[in-house]
Amino acid sequence: MTDSQTILLATLPSPPAKAALPPSSIAPAKVAAPAKPAEPQHSNEAIERSIIDQSARGPVLTFFSTAIFWLLVSTVLGYIASKRLHDPDFILGPEWLYRMLGVDGLFRSIFDSNFTYGRVWPAYNTALIYGWCSLAGMGVATWLIGRLCRVAIQAPAVLQLGAWFWNAGVAVGVIMILGGHNTGLEYFEMVRGARVLMFIGYLCIGIWGLILFRYKRTVAPYISVSYLVAGFFLFPWFFGAADLLSSAPTPGVMKNVVNAWYQGGLFNLWFGCLGLASAYYFIPKVINKPIYSYNLAKIGFWGWVFLGGLTAMTKLSGGPVPAYLVTISVAASILSIIPIACLTVNIGRTMIGHTDKMASSPTLRFTYVGTVFFAIAAGLGVLGALRGVDSFTHFTTWDYGVKHTLLMGFFSMVMFGAIYYITPRLVGCEWLSRTFIKLHFLGTAYGGATIIALFLFGGLAAGFTLNESAVDASPSNPGREFIFTNVMANGGWQHVIRTYIGYVFFGVAQIIFAIHFIFMRLRIGQPAGEPTLMSNPGEAH
Amino acid sequence: MDKPSTLFTGIFGAFLVSTSVMVLLPNSQLSGLQPQIVWEEGQNSPSDMYPVKIEHSLGHRHGERIYVENGCYYCHTQDIRDPQFGPDIERGWGARRTVARDFIYNDTPLLGATRMGPDLGNYGWRDSEGKRFWRNEQPNDPTKPAVRDAAFIYKHLFNPRARTEASNCPSNPGLFEKHDIGAGVSPDAVAVEGKKQWLPTAAARNLAAYLLSLDRSHELKEAPVAKSKEAKK
Ligand code: HEC
Repeated sequence: MTDSQTILLATLPSPPAKAALPPSSIAPAKVAAPAKPAEPQHSNEAIERSIIDQSARGPVLTFFSTAIFWLLVSTVLGYIASKRLHDPDFILGPEWLYRMLGVDGLFRSIFDSNFTYGRVWPAYNTALIYGWCSLAGMGVATWLIGRLCRVAIQAPAVLQLGAWFWNAGVAVGVIMILGGHNTGLEYFEMVRGARVLMFIGYLCIGIWGLILFRYKRTVAPYISVSYLVAGFFLFPWFFGAADLLSSAPTPGVMKNVVNAWYQGGLFNLWFGCLGLASAYYFIPKVINKPIYSYNLAKIGFWGWVFLGGLTAMTKLSGGPVPAYLVTISVAASILSIIPIACLTVNIGRTMIGHTDKMASSPTLRFTYVGTVFFAIAAGLGVLGALRGVDSFTHFTTWDYGVKHTLLMGFFSMVMFGAIYYITPRLVGCEWLSRTFIKLHFLGTAYGGATIIALFLFGGLAAGFTLNESAVDASPSNPGREFIFTNVMANGGWQHVIRTYIGYVFFGVAQIIFAIHFIFMRLRIGQPAGEPTLMSNPGEAH
Repeated sequence: MDKPSTLFTGIFGAFLVSTSVMVLLPNSQLSGLQPQIVWEEGQNSPSDMYPVKIEHSLGHRHGERIYVENGCYYCHTQDIRDPQFGPDIERGWGARRTVARDFIYNDTPLLGATRMGPDLGNYGWRDSEGKRFWRNEQPNDPTKPAVRDAAFIYKHLFNPRARTEASNCPSNPGLFEKHDIGAGVSPDAVAVEGKKQWLPTAAARNLAAYLLSLDRSHELKEAPVAKSKEAKK
């Protein structure tokens, strides 16, 4: 072991002995056989893999189930938020029923005060980002680390505990936001207590990630390992530092600067790294061929890790912050074309001649489409950083479009692909229905794309009118100033389509997915052994 | 894969670079910001100081809190940008761009996320006649009153669509209460229903006071007041 590693690991608790662990009071993991990393050398690889999978079973399924719960919550909140923009006084659900039950007054007042756009929107983002995306990402990452380093998880209960702490934090955060406790910092709206719970949860999870890495027996030559380590290692720093600095009593725009910096870490490094780790593992795995170029992947990795933390200040362009921050971010954004290109070329090259497998393998289809969305999201990020584009898109929903490309298009897709691969290996049966998987894919892809496209185009449209000179306006020709007073009349169509096509399609797809996942947990599915493909390999083409 | 030591050193290096450039460097610059003080000769107290740290009344802080609680900052910015970034000043949203010094006494500057609604960063700023209107609103347009006072804000908060049919600014009935019409309908009443009138709660009053206190038009040396078009008004 090298020095820097010793230093790092010295700060971590040494892997506790089994007896010293907290009793697994919450959802005890059924570990078939406590895996002893030293033993299985002579057993063959398949048995070893199943031992590792068994050890990961409890925590990973907890991650997935709770993540899917938050996915459903966030879609409902997203629907409400989106509908609020074109129908600001609506109530969710059948009003006649509420009236019949005599709760219409109650619903009205809850909706009027707790579900206004300004409260549902942050609640939605929190549920999506910290609920669904982060939990799914940590679940997939836990499983991947075990696989890649060939070690079994020795204390699944700690991970479980971490998962529940994290969940509690998110729940507190979301409920408090709806109740009006908002920090005033975008994507970091959870109250301090919620953040502390999440951080404790993260420590249980992330430290295990690093310990597993430390006890690796081999490291499969996958760039995924680097991405996982980067994601797991960087997130707590960004999160912790942002937490401390946002709670510090120092007033002034530093808080906004820190918040923008944190967003860079959250979106580029946390979600970027976890998602890419998964993509770089599953794509070669499913097509059974190594990645096109390992060196290219490495350049991409280092480029992304160094530039990812520097690009976020474009969010404050023109704002009351030192101008060089924005300049640096623009430069970093432009440079990040290099890692993005490396990744795109690498994955594209790897896939050459194998795209037909997408017709049958759900994992490949979700993961590959997700990776394409990554290239789009990152490309849009670069585009939006350019001064000429930023002058139109600043302060519009364009930014939401870019973030949703990353969260819904890229990250969620890749996570779905991974969940389709991992779950059967944990529960011992295959997915029940290929129709369900197909519907899930279609709803997610088209619903998600609609949401994204309308945020982007709505942003552009609003940006052009916002930028128009206001001076020649007169009462007979009120000018474009009144995009504001006419939001619903002029730009309303974008909100309407986003709600009824985007969020409804996306939401229905996720309900199907959730039902399918519940079936899996009840072990209702196809017999193990033959993966559920979306079409029989023969009929694919 | 890289050697673990290389990996960890590299990743930590990336974090350090990011933190020093994006956090430590601006912090060293911003943390020293002081109000702009003008001394006149022979005086022993400054003749002018901006921004002033008024011990913000509880009400004011509460108003700001209500603004954050209800997520007004997702749709309303408080960030006037230089003319080269867009026509913010031309629209009459402010007299000059906002700068870091404007916020030295703000706990969490609410720069805002999008502009689904107009910028409110100078909502309390008035022209020489004590009036306030967006640049291209005509003073005599009956639907767009030029005077934006507390009563106007109450009506807007209660139901923005009463004045602007297609507005998606949320209505906040939660900020109002029903009272008996005792001696008569209060000038602050936003609606009358039979023998009852809707009156603003303390939260609504504080929010309106907060909005009306927003004025970042004081001349600063790093942000001179834009003269040209404003002067002609
Ligand atoms: C969904 C986005 C949205 C949210 C959230 C929002 N607003 Fe608005 N706001 C608008 C739009 C659009 C307008 C312009 C149309 C109008 O005047 O009603 C506006 C206009 C305003 C105006 C200006 C009225 C005038 O012409 O002088 C004020 C004041 C205002 N909002 C206050 C608030 C406050 C306070 C909150 C938080 C409780 C808030 N808004 C939340 C969208 C929003």
